[in-house]
Parts: sequence; C-alpha cells; structure tokens
Amino acid sequence: MHRSEGLAARGFLVFALGALVCGALFGVIGSWQHVIPGVVDAVPFVKSRPLHVSLVVAWIFMAAIGGIYHYLPQIAGVPLHAPRLVWVHLVLFMLTGLAVITSYFMGRFGGREYWEFPPVLGIPIVIGWLLLLYNFFATVRGRQGPWPAYLWMWATGLVFFLFTYLEAHLWLIQRTGDNAVRDLTVQWKAYGALTGSWNMLVYGTSMVVMERISGNARPARSRAAFLLYALGFTNLLFGWAHHIYPVPSATWLRMLAYGISMTEWIVLARIIHQWRATMDAAHSGPRSMSHRFLFASEVWVLLNLALALLISIPAINLFTHGTHITVAHAMGSTIGINTTILFASVCFIANGHATRTMRIGFALFNGALALFWLSLIGAGAVKGWYTVMTDLPFQTIMQQLRPFLIGFAVSGFGVFAGLMVLTGLALRRLNAREEKVVVSPERSKGSAEVRISPVSLDEGPM
Amino acid sequence: MNAPFRDAHVGFGAIHRRVIFFGLVALFVLQTGMTWTLSTDVDDPDAHFSTAAYRGRALYQAFNCTACHQLYGLGGYMGPDLTNVTSDPDKGRAFAKGLILHGTTRMPALGLTDTQADDIVAYLEAVAATGTYPVRSLDLTPWGTYTQMTHAQE
Repeated sequence: MHRSEGLAARGFLVFALGALVCGALFGVIGSWQHVIPGVVDAVPFVKSRPLHVSLVVAWIFMAAIGGIYHYLPQIAGVPLHAPRLVWVHLVLFMLTGLAVITSYFMGRFGGREYWEFPPVLGIPIVIGWLLLLYNFFATVRGRQGPWPAYLWMWATGLVFFLFTYLEAHLWLIQRTGDNAVRDLTVQWKAYGALTGSWNMLVYGTSMVVMERISGNARPARSRAAFLLYALGFTNLLFGWAHHIYPVPSATWLRMLAYGISMTEWIVLARIIHQWRATMDAAHSGPRSMSHRFLFASEVWVLLNLALALLISIPAINLFTHGTHITVAHAMGSTIGINTTILFASVCFIANGHATRTMRIGFALFNGALALFWLSLIGAGAVKGWYTVMTDLPFQTIMQQLRPFLIGFAVSGFGVFAGLMVLTGLALRRLNAREEKVVVSPERSKGSAEVRISPVSLDEGPM
Repeated sequence: MNAPFRDAHVGFGAIHRRVIFFGLVALFVLQTGMTWTLSTDVDDPDAHFSTAAYRGRALYQAFNCTACHQLYGLGGYMGPDLTNVTSDPDKGRAFAKGLILHGTTRMPALGLTDTQADDIVAYLEAVAATGTYPVRSLDLTPWGTYTQMTHAQE
C-alpha cells in the first residue's frame, strides 16, 4: 500500500472516531433531555437527536469505508486504482459533514429521518460514493479467482447503498397522487435496505478481520459464508417491513417481511461462533483488542438475535412498535454489533494489543451498554403495555417510564465514557503507527497467493 | 497477520453465487415496483395528499417534527404520536393548530404563520384518514399475527 493512500484510509478512521465521540456526546445530551426537560438549552432535542443520529451513522460509514480502503489493496493484490480519489473522497465527506452539522446547529432541516439535513447536501454524498464505487470495482477487477464472501458483501453494500439512498430521496420529485401509507412504506423500504447495506459493509469487514487474525482463508469461501451473504442480502431486500407492521399497507408486504425476518441472525451467530473456534485453535496466547471486540460482537449478536426475533413476531410487535424497545434494537445493532466490529477493525489496523486502560474502557463500554439496553427494553415494555391496554394520556404514560429513562441516561453516560477511553487510545495509536504492507510481486503477475508483511514502526502495545 | 496469507480457491461455486445474486436482484426489482404500486389499498379520497398537505409535509420536515413525534409509531419518542391527532374526538383540528401555533410547556412555538399551520394540519388530516394507530384490539392469531394486520382495510 502506498503511504499516501494508507494515510487517507487512516484519515477516514480518524474522522470516523471523531464522529463517534461527537455523536455519543449528543446522544448523552438527548438522553438527559428525556429526564430533565430543557437541559442544555443551546442544543434542544430537535437538534441533538439528528446530530446524534447523523454523526453515529457517519461513524459506521466512515469506519467501514476506511477499512475497505485499507484492506482492499491487500485483498486485491494490487494498489488502489486511483489513490488520489481517496483523498478527494475524504475531503468531500469531511466538508459535507461540517456542512450537515452546521445546518443542524442553525436549525436548517428539510430532509427525513436519518438524513434530516437540507437535501441538497446529499449531492456531495452521492458524488463521494460514486468515487468509492469506481475505486472499489476498478481495483478488484484485476483480482484473480472467485471472490470471497466479504467482497460480495462489500460490493453489494456499496451498490445498494447508492440505490436506496437515491430511492429515499424520490419524495423530492413526487408532487401528486400520494398518500401517507405509501409515503411511509416507500420511505421505510428505502431505510430498511439502507440499514441492510451498511450492515453488509460491516459484516464484510468483520469477515476480513477474522480472516486476517486467524490466517484461515477457508471460512470466507465456505458455503456457510455465502449462505450468510444470501440471507443478509435477502433481509436487505425484503426484511424491512417489520418496521411498519402497524401501517395499513398491503397484507402481502407485511407477511413477506414476517417470514424473512426470522432468518438472518441465527446464521450470523453460527458463522461467528465457527470462526471463534478457528481463532481459538490458532491463537491460544494473549488476546488482542480486535479479538475481544469480535467476541463482544458475538455476544451482542446473540442478544439482538433474541430481541429481533421477538419484535418481528407481529403479536409482540403490536406492543413494542413505537416504543423504546425499537430503540434498544437499534442501539444493540449499531453500538453492540456494528461499533464493536468496527472497533475490532480499527484496532487491527492500529496493530493494537490490550493494555490495562484499554481493557477498562472495553469493560466500561460493554457493561454500561448492557444496562443501557436493558433500561430501554424496560421503558419500552412499560410504554407498550400502557399504550395498547389503556387510554392513559401520553404524559401520564411517560411518567411511568421515568425510572427506566433515568437508568437509560445514566448508563448512556457510561457508554460515552467507555467510548471516550477506547477512542482516545485508538486515535493515539493510529497517529503513532505507520504500517507498510508489501504486496508480493508474484501476486501482481496473477498468482493466487498474496503475501502480506506488515512492518510496524512502533512496536509498543496498545 | 504476520504469517503469509493464502487466498485459497475453495468452497461455493461461482455459478451458484451469480444465480443467487441475480435472482435476488430480480426479486428486488419486482418488489420495488410492487411496493411503489401495490403497497397500499387506501381508497379514501381524504387520504390523498392535497397541495396544502404536500406543503404541510415539507414544513413537517423543515421543522424536524419527527425528532419528537411519530406517525404510525415511526419517529422520536419525546412527544406523542400524531397519526390521529386531528381525528381524535378529544383533540381535533383546532387543538392541533393551536399547539402548532403556540406550543406547550415542552414544545416550543415554531413561529409559523396561520397558513403554514393550516398546511401542517392538512398533512396530519391526510395521515389520519389512512387508518388508526395504535391498534388496541388484541385479536391475535395462533401464528403470531393479529387480524388488523392481515385485514388492514376492514
């Protein structure tokens, strides 16, 4: 890998970690605004929520993209096709990110959930994505042999993100003949596929990290890996409608989603478990931080598997939809699974080992997240029961949730503190460490073998 | 990562992968078309967005109402769901417009004009005409669904 493109890939990771810290901070502010109305008046909830959501989504995308730019030359056996475009992409996303944050602080909205910024700011996002698509496909085009499952995941995630992002903005050109049911259905169809797209990028990254740690290429080429890919893709395409069971859309749509919702997570847990056994056999010595994060993601996959399966059953969804249980599902997925997998990737790229401070941050993060998750489930269960079974007014129901919301806000601060520790150490290591990867000359001539020799300039532990 | 990494060519066949991939893409195209054209049976003329409702939807987004409020349970949880706020016999059009114009102790007045408030109310009325939320009739079936889900328009 050239020094320049390596720096740009790390730039994405540094930018991603910055977005994570800021996004978590606004999440803390938003959670306390549920407990103490009016707290942090300078950033009211109408601003703190989109700041939190957009910045955390930016973390997921930027960390996944940084990982792709970092790993792709090693996987393809050739340098990135257009290294300069990585810098253009990075600068474009940084400037767009600043513009989005500025628009939120100024109270300029106009978009929809997840993308509440003025829609015109979506243009540079699409341009940046096209640059990434070009670089990705032009780089892997020269690769010999069949693709492992993670390349299919990345390719699918990249293509379908663009498709669904554009579909999510089609409301801009529709001006007649619509109704709220179709409007919401199409919006959540696009969002469901959008979430599936970034999950594809993250799961692909997870496979790469596991492969690199274990040194075993077989699992990513196995039937099980492609079964996971096929189910993930199927869920991306069709599994979104459980978010809108209560919306009076067509029956076929909801029944199709019900059937498909039951499939994906079990296989993911099985695959990760299988990989862990391989990794344990290969590395019985001290665990790296990447290893720990992958283990944590396995636990969170199982917890979220149980929750996702339950809330996808319509009779249960009746009580959980529109409650904090949906938030628990979203937080468990984006923080528990996506963030831990992406931290595994960041730590792997930073070439880090587990120090005491890192282990404390890791324990604080996961412990607080567990309390956070349980508080949301408790709040959602109470809200769902009172909403469906009684006619109590909204404010009275919210009073019943208060103990859970306090637990949610307090534990949210713990999650933030844990993330601060982990992010600070990861940033320090990313800035301190320079990694040079040598691609063997025979690979570039078409050989099937890739030799990767990371050369660390700083051998201190992380 | 210190050990040489071998790119083993093992496992699932390329043809199988392509069949699965393009099969799913074909289904996705089909489903996208069906979602755009057949995802709703709403036939109440009041449910279709008028020009005022379209303006109201734009204002709903411009003021980021979804940060605090939900429609059919979708949105933020700081404030109440607004799906049926205009059709609720205890609330209604005037109630909704009053809150939009003047706010409450927890919701700020947005500084809207009277016409803009009417537009948002028109949007909420179009939403209310599509159905009822939350579903309170627990008519569950043995296979985990409920009757209102499979017979939405009844």
